[in-house]
Amino acid sequence: MNHDINIKELQKNCFRQSKVPGEFMLQMRVPGGVIEARHLSLVQHIADTWGNGQFHLGMRQTFSLPGIKYENIEAVNEYIKSYIEDIEVELCDVDMDVNDKGYPTIGARNIMACIGNSHCIKANIDTTTLARKLEKLIFPSDYHIKMSVAGCPNDCAKAQFNDFGIIGIAKMEYDYDRCICCKKCVETCAHHATGVLSVEKGKIVKDTCCCVGCGECATVCPTGAWTRNPKKFYRVIIGGRSGKQYPRMGKMFLNWVTEDVVLGVIGNWQEFSAEILNHKPVYLHGGHLIDRAGYDKFKEMILKGVELNPEAEVADKIYWAETEYRANIHVKPACNTK
Amino acid sequence: MSYSVSVKKMNEILKELQKDYKVYAPKRFEKRGRYSDTDLIRYAEISMVEEIVYDEKADFSPKEVIYPITQTLFYFTEHEYKESKVHDKGILIFARPCDINGIKRLDTIFLENGDQEDIYYKRLREKVKFILMECKEGWDTCFCVSMGSNQTDNYSLAVRFAENNLLVEVKDEAFNNLFANEKTTDFTPEFVTSNQVTVKIPEIDNKEILKKVHDLDMWESYNSRCGNCGACTSACITCSCFTTSDVIYSENGRAGERRRVWASCLHEDFTEMAGGHSFRNTPGERMRFRTLHKVYDFKARFGEEQMCVGCGRCTDRCPQLISFATTINRLSEEVNKLKNKKVSQVQAASKEVE
Repeated sequence: MNHDINIKELQKNCFRQSKVPGEFMLQMRVPGGVIEARHLSLVQHIADTWGNGQFHLGMRQTFSLPGIKYENIEAVNEYIKSYIEDIEVELCDVDMDVNDKGYPTIGARNIMACIGNSHCIKANIDTTTLARKLEKLIFPSDYHIKMSVAGCPNDCAKAQFNDFGIIGIAKMEYDYDRCICCKKCVETCAHHATGVLSVEKGKIVKDTCCCVGCGECATVCPTGAWTRNPKKFYRVIIGGRSGKQYPRMGKMFLNWVTEDVVLGVIGNWQEFSAEILNHKPVYLHGGHLIDRAGYDKFKEMILKGVELNPEAEVADKIYWAETEYRANIHVKPACNTK
Repeated sequence: MSYSVSVKKMNEILKELQKDYKVYAPKRFEKRGRYSDTDLIRYAEISMVEEIVYDEKADFSPKEVIYPITQTLFYFTEHEYKESKVHDKGILIFARPCDINGIKRLDTIFLENGDQEDIYYKRLREKVKFILMECKEGWDTCFCVSMGSNQTDNYSLAVRFAENNLLVEVKDEAFNNLFANEKTTDFTPEFVTSNQVTVKIPEIDNKEILKKVHDLDMWESYNSRCGNCGACTSACITCSCFTTSDVIYSENGRAGERRRVWASCLHEDFTEMAGGHSFRNTPGERMRFRTLHKVYDFKARFGEEQMCVGCGRCTDRCPQLISFATTINRLSEEVNKLKNKKVSQVQAASKEVE
């Protein structure tokens, strides 16, 4: 077939090119990975009517519908109008005009999240609600950003491999008189976390510096001696990425910050990106963008106007540890013509 | 005499009572539960009716009011010692029938077990007067009716909580004057008459059966289920075990205190002796001990009633979702099987003789 298709334009509407010329895969956003199951019938309708009957649980928690023919894209875009309205406008309070042209941009990728404390016994935060608040801040922006929200430092959400990984942590409080020294917290902390607890004179002492705030001590405590401070705290990991050249895990940027700080930081992302990219929203991993700006510049811009809470900690420096797929991969010819 | 009292008036009465009493009731500790964004409900001092959580079961029992988790018995310096003190007020506890019956079990353990009364228990216990919280339905883990602990007349006041007022029965004349100006009513508390769960107590009536119960396979199933955390015993109204130890102050090796802290028969080190030997080495063995203690040992020793009052808190608090009611019923079934086996053996033997 004689195709003349602007692939870049379609990609912007979240249609991904297939190896079969003229076929595309639609990626539907599910911010935080949780929506009402009733939407599945809409997904099924698209797959059955215009796709190849299958759907992929996208790696970033999108509904991905392959096998959509180019000539059907207009109809699909019309059909998903109600979904975009329901999810983006109603659920996430995103400020956007929804029309029948489909998704306006693919820039900010779907925000991933684990199920969080609405279900999980380990989680410290409501990841779904936070993901929806973050969606409002980053969508629809043409500037690329990948985010994931993890309910606890176990990080099932792989916050460590995103531009911004947000991890729910808890300030643990100890009631000396309620403790019966069963040592369950000591054992679980050593087994699951950083081993900061030990026994002294029939009670528990803690090396507060190295506590990761996972909350394991509270989940095993029989008497409620360990409890979470009801105030929610977050750890922010930056610059993690996969990739073919030099993948790396993220590094800790902020620790023990409040939700206001997280929202303030993410709110600054678009301005930071625009500045560093000369106001051209080209595809670049967040980690690369931070590298291009330099960590100090990044820190200055991303914390602009953000009031840090008294408990907050900020990384002074960041030393990345990359997996270099070939030695000295960063050493390149000085007269590179490109 | 019974009265209908507005919440506002009851708060005034509570204020008056607090001159002479510390008042304890189940109180909500927001977001302090085991899991994130869950609440913890436990006994604590209250000063207003609104603080009392009457429509949910407390996670922990009122025993901690009179038998604190950590309790200093005395302080010592070189050759001298000084007994710890308790406050000089009375104690009022808002409690359900199961808990009031549970405290009766604690009284037996601390005051009537052997010829020595536990003075550290007694000095708080004798201050206590109960305010019965009417409990008409209970919850899905309760089995107070099976344990006969759904009723009590051991209270000074009894209350029914309604939307804007409380119905109060005043049984203790000492409190009459506080309610003198209130509207009288004919309220008397009702009690739970049936639970969603029924528990059948195993009939272990001889040593031979007891020995076989000791060796039942069912205990082994708990080896992989029970985590030995002791949440059940901590929540239990009738568990009374503690460990006594001397804590020496680090600044001065010659001064310190003797204290007792709750212990749990579910913990690995509960039966550990000097040299490292333990009597019960598996979670199943510890579950067996606890189960038999609650529905056999206590009655075998003291004769009147089982230790367990069926409050169901052990089930509510178990992070591994082990139901104590189910455990007891399982044991009863096993005991029945043992007995039937024995009967059929006897019948078979007598047939042979014929």
